[in-house]
Amino acid sequence: MKKKAHPFLHDLKKNRTKWLMILPAAIVVVLMCYIPMAGIVLAFKEFNYHGGIWGSPWAGFRNFEYFFQSGKAWTTTRNTILYNIAFLCVNTLLQITCAILLSELAGKYFKRITQSVMFLPYFISWVVVGAFIYNLFNYEFGAVNSFLKSLGMEPLDVYSDKAAWPVILIVVSAFKNVGYGTVMYLASIVNIDGEMFEAADLDGATMWQKIRHITLPCIRPTVAILFLMAIGTIMKGDFQMFWQVTGNNPMVLEVTDVIDTYVTRSMLNLQEFGMTSAAGLYQSGLSFVLVLIANYAVKKIEPDYALF
Amino acid sequence: MRKKTRICSLLMAMMLGIATLGGCGSEPASSGTQESSDEASRESSGEDSTEAGESESASEEGQEPESEAAANQPDISEEVTLTMYLIGDRPVDNDEVFAKINEKLKAEINATIDVKFMSWGEYEQKYPLIFASGEDWDIIYTADWCFYNAQATKQGFWEITQEALDTYAPMTAQTIYPEAWEQAKVNGQVFMLPMNYKEITSYVYMARGDLMDKYSITSVASLDEAEAYMDAIVANEPTLIPLDVGSDYDKLFVFDRMWNKANWESQEKVGGIGTWQIMSSVGEGDDNAEVKGIYDQALFQGVIERLKDWKDRGFWSKNAVVNTQNNTESFQAGKSALALCNANTAKSIYAQMSTEHPEWDVRVFDAQDGVPPVLNSFLANGMSIFSKSKHPERALMALDYLRNDVEINNLFCYGIEGKHWEAAGDNALVSLPDSGNYAYDSNCNWGVRNDASWRMVEGGIPGLEEMNAKWKESARSSRYQTFVFDDSNVKNEVAAITEIFNSDYKLLGLGFTDDPAGDIAKLKEKMISAGADAVYAEMQKQALEFLKTNGN
Repeated sequence: MKKKAHPFLHDLKKNRTKWLMILPAAIVVVLMCYIPMAGIVLAFKEFNYHGGIWGSPWAGFRNFEYFFQSGKAWTTTRNTILYNIAFLCVNTLLQITCAILLSELAGKYFKRITQSVMFLPYFISWVVVGAFIYNLFNYEFGAVNSFLKSLGMEPLDVYSDKAAWPVILIVVSAFKNVGYGTVMYLASIVNIDGEMFEAADLDGATMWQKIRHITLPCIRPTVAILFLMAIGTIMKGDFQMFWQVTGNNPMVLEVTDVIDTYVTRSMLNLQEFGMTSAAGLYQSGLSFVLVLIANYAVKKIEPDYALF
Repeated sequence: MRKKTRICSLLMAMMLGIATLGGCGSEPASSGTQESSDEASRESSGEDSTEAGESESASEEGQEPESEAAANQPDISEEVTLTMYLIGDRPVDNDEVFAKINEKLKAEINATIDVKFMSWGEYEQKYPLIFASGEDWDIIYTADWCFYNAQATKQGFWEITQEALDTYAPMTAQTIYPEAWEQAKVNGQVFMLPMNYKEITSYVYMARGDLMDKYSITSVASLDEAEAYMDAIVANEPTLIPLDVGSDYDKLFVFDRMWNKANWESQEKVGGIGTWQIMSSVGEGDDNAEVKGIYDQALFQGVIERLKDWKDRGFWSKNAVVNTQNNTESFQAGKSALALCNANTAKSIYAQMSTEHPEWDVRVFDAQDGVPPVLNSFLANGMSIFSKSKHPERALMALDYLRNDVEINNLFCYGIEGKHWEAAGDNALVSLPDSGNYAYDSNCNWGVRNDASWRMVEGGIPGLEEMNAKWKESARSSRYQTFVFDDSNVKNEVAAITEIFNSDYKLLGLGFTDDPAGDIAKLKEKMISAGADAVYAEMQKQALEFLKTNGN
């Protein structure tokens, strides 16, 4: 034993509270992300129940062929990326707008209540949202069509209309997620030094000028970080949302099928664990590359905001 | 936003984790199986020697008293609870019925059965998952249409050897139809005890008598009559959907009716071959067994056009493709005016519906429309044992009793005598009012049906007996009934095709198309790029071999 402890052990002792605080998160990540990663091997196996993951025979790259052969690789990748970009833009825009509006509101109670009400949808399960959608748009007995019929108008056949679904999905995504993000932006607006606003008031700045020149520049770091993190998940479709809201409807699959729903559906239909793992691995690989590229780009432009 | 629920990756991760654990656990389990099968063979050899010579067995008795005891009587000293998976919803009186079954099983083989259910709405998804989940269970319902081949080739089932059958299921070994045992073989191994029952699958319509009278419809016994009935419903009953098909279970029911009729009346008599997801078809009389996509057959487009017409007229919902409830459930719930189901389903719900809604005056009509019903293979129903079951031998013993013990078999199939049913002669029974809580032949007991103890319902559906007689007379097995397609050479192609089956083909089968000819061409194009030609060529090769070995 040396006299002086190893630097790492020294750090462990010195900052033990901080290390302790990070411990639960570290355990979760190791348990849920790193250990299952070994299962990637499944993508190269011909799975059977008896051999399990390790005992099943190898299949080489054969499992990957099917994903591309089915002609679905391109559609699902395209849908996943486009939807996530749309969600990202629409939601971020709405969140920032709502946060600024709320911060400018005067009444304390009104502000609190509005905030809570906006936050509420975040806790509604997608299954329930799916049921809402079905009861709204169901052709024969849905609320929308009943209303249209009572006005003497033609009922809408939403469940077979491909054009309707991107809009519906973007709207429900905003419905569920805007409240959550608003609170985060609101927090960063509250943190802005109040003296800046006072100074602006003295100089006779209008509300619009204050927002434009003080609020927006001050929340830019928050926007950048949230944006970067979203890029990391751009290849991951929100599975529950796509599955529950569309009801796995084959009429509109072309515009609503994302990689996650495709993987789940084909696993349920085929019970080919190897093939679906292969599709999952493709998704993760692409995700990884995207994060690297995005981070590299941010580093070039604004080195301070890069993740690593 | 930030916390996107990555359910899918989580699910994957969990499955992997569980499967990893399962992998660890499989070691002792598999060696256990090995041991037990060794034991089984040892026992049977012991038995053989008993038959061969008294003296030898006597000497063995002297040397190894333990193994001798095991040879005559499987070791049942440990009390076990077997978990059995059935498909359907738990009947109200299920637990009461199984309490009685367990009482007897406990006495006979020191085991009890705990029943779990998966509903019809989710079985296609849940069934494969319980094999991978690492859950501890023993017995499951299976059938050729219900994952038998898929799970057997993936080693999901415990192999039932002749020795095991002789040792643990002696009653079954004696009574099982030899051809049923032969049919159950997958690559020479048996993984299922098929039902011991010759069954015909025939379809019927169930219609609302009150509505028929109201719109003066006298009969709904053919496609044309059904069309007239549904027209009347669409025109006059806006709150009812005429025929609420579209769920996973019945998405192709109407298509099948039309398709079978059109082909039965044609020269070629085209029929399906292999798994239905592959959409393969072949002419019955074609000795060259030319396998083609069903969409390539001459009559396909006409059928799709009629389906489109029916759909456009509102015979089923415009949301049919997202239905989770099947048409019989909808009919029972009073949401639709017509149900299309097989005769057994009709039998099991008819009594209940008549008591619950006498005002509906439910009437049952033959939906075969002149097409001979299918004489089922024995594999249409059966029971299997999970390959990772901890007590496969005891599970086999339990199945032996469920199949052959008259009292237990009757309990499982019809419920409690005196409460749910009453004997009427040796081969019939009368349903009692309580049968609503445990309906006749509907608790997924089909896998243990046994001709030896079978009872028909007396006084059930009016006219059913005449229909039955007619069906029995005309029933036939198709030429390729027992043909099993081995897809190991074309796995990727089959996977891609299955995806098309579940989207494009399902839509056509429910008439969701604006341009039948165009969409059929599109389907064909997709199938070709998915590699359908290779699959059909492989199937044709196997079909020719099948014809050669089966000598017809």
